[in-house]
Amino acid sequence: MPTNVITEANWKFHWRLTESAGIMVYLADYKGRRVLWEGSLPYVTVDHQRQTLEVETDAESHGPWWIPLGTRTLQGPVRVQSFRGGIELSASFAAGPYQYTQLWRFHDDGRLCPWLTIYGPGVHDQHTYHPHFRFDFDLDGADEDAFEYFEAGRWQRVQQEGWFPYSGEADGEGNVWRQIDFGSRASINVRPHSWDDAEVFAIRYHDGEWAPFSPRSATGAQPFPAAYVGQEELEGHDLSLWYVAHVHFDQSFPYTAGPWIRVEGLGR
Amino acid sequence: MAASKTSVKAKPAKGKPGKPAPKRTNGKAHVAKRRVAPDVALADPALFDPLTPGETADALRTLIEDRRTASMAKVGRYRVICTEPLVVKPPHDLAGHRLARVVAYDYSSDRAVDATIDLDAGIVVHLDMTKAQPMLSREEEALAMSIAMADERVRNKLQLGDSPQCAMHYWGRTPNDLAFARRSAAVVFGRSGTDGSASVIAVVDLIDQQVTQVVPAEVW
Repeated sequence: MPTNVITEANWKFHWRLTESAGIMVYLADYKGRRVLWEGSLPYVTVDHQRQTLEVETDAESHGPWWIPLGTRTLQGPVRVQSFRGGIELSASFAAGPYQYTQLWRFHDDGRLCPWLTIYGPGVHDQHTYHPHFRFDFDLDGADEDAFEYFEAGRWQRVQQEGWFPYSGEADGEGNVWRQIDFGSRASINVRPHSWDDAEVFAIRYHDGEWAPFSPRSATGAQPFPAAYVGQEELEGHDLSLWYVAHVHFDQSFPYTAGPWIRVEGLGR
Repeated sequence: MAASKTSVKAKPAKGKPGKPAPKRTNGKAHVAKRRVAPDVALADPALFDPLTPGETADALRTLIEDRRTASMAKVGRYRVICTEPLVVKPPHDLAGHRLARVVAYDYSSDRAVDATIDLDAGIVVHLDMTKAQPMLSREEEALAMSIAMADERVRNKLQLGDSPQCAMHYWGRTPNDLAFARRSAAVVFGRSGTDGSASVIAVVDLIDQQVTQVVPAEVW
């Protein structure tokens, strides 16, 4: 498993290929200031997410399934390529009828794009794909952060851990969620793909609550990351964010899921 | 998955982003202090490096010598799912230590083992044994495929050219499904090649090592 450090386009970051969470990016700095402790793609689950109230038949009531994106499913090498205004990492993964390309794109203006392109025939066209991205942002340090959610026409400070779906509302630049750092006055702005049917889980960081090696927690219990959500206070603490997209097969594959992330207020 | 989540109502932001947030403690307001611990920014990138074969072996030896995993090691019915480096943030005591995270599945007691090994000290520093279901190991994927291929009900449904394409980690959605509580894989059969279409799905119970469902792909 190769490991590398890249310094380009106002970014300095490290990356490595994991066993199950795709390309992990870690210790990422923008203009010399720490932005990200660690970011990865822990899993992509596939299941039926019905949009109707039809009674399910036995034959259609199967549960979720997934296969790790990592060393065992990698197709070819991890690619590092410059583009106009930035640099990107990409890697292709395949498992039977499922094919994915994971991307990490770093723009010199502070944008960061952790994306996943989904293609391949799949098993059939009634399935929904759920890529789970996890970000442990340490914006100019780990603590003294807060989380905000754009709702009812304005940014709302979130007090407790929770699940925050994209309802269609966004600020003027399309951002729906943001993590802010009190000390540096900087922020991480998260803009969903409008077709991702996305949501963000905001969770107070704890050692031990790393990305599990499966979305499945105990039998009958909530899956991760929902299993990590409690009632802890967020404001003033270290946070981790999970961005989960719900991609329906009929969205004309190939489809690229994942957020636009923009760092603002650092490196002045 | 969405149905099992709890939504939390946000409250209006008290200030603009980036402004130092006034915090209240015991009813007295004060201004948040500027952080003085730059330790996160000084983390050693080498701690994230992949484990060497020797470090992986060291981590596994240390784990199975720990008395808390004695029953697992003695029976020997466990699978190592993966072993990867783990980096703990400062100010935790283990920050700066070379750590390995070992995840295994213990078939003798149907439980997951998630351990953190301090390779500097040669000890298990964290151990969780739960009913969680980690991903399948490569050996479990191969085993699921071989069980499915040997099953007559599966073979009867295969078409010319079909072969196992992949084994996915699977669990049932309802208690009526055997895979709800038992470690299972779903083996996808189909043709290799350009279209890669699936023909049959076989669900394999990895505990009893038998096929529990055979479903045509189009109705899966």
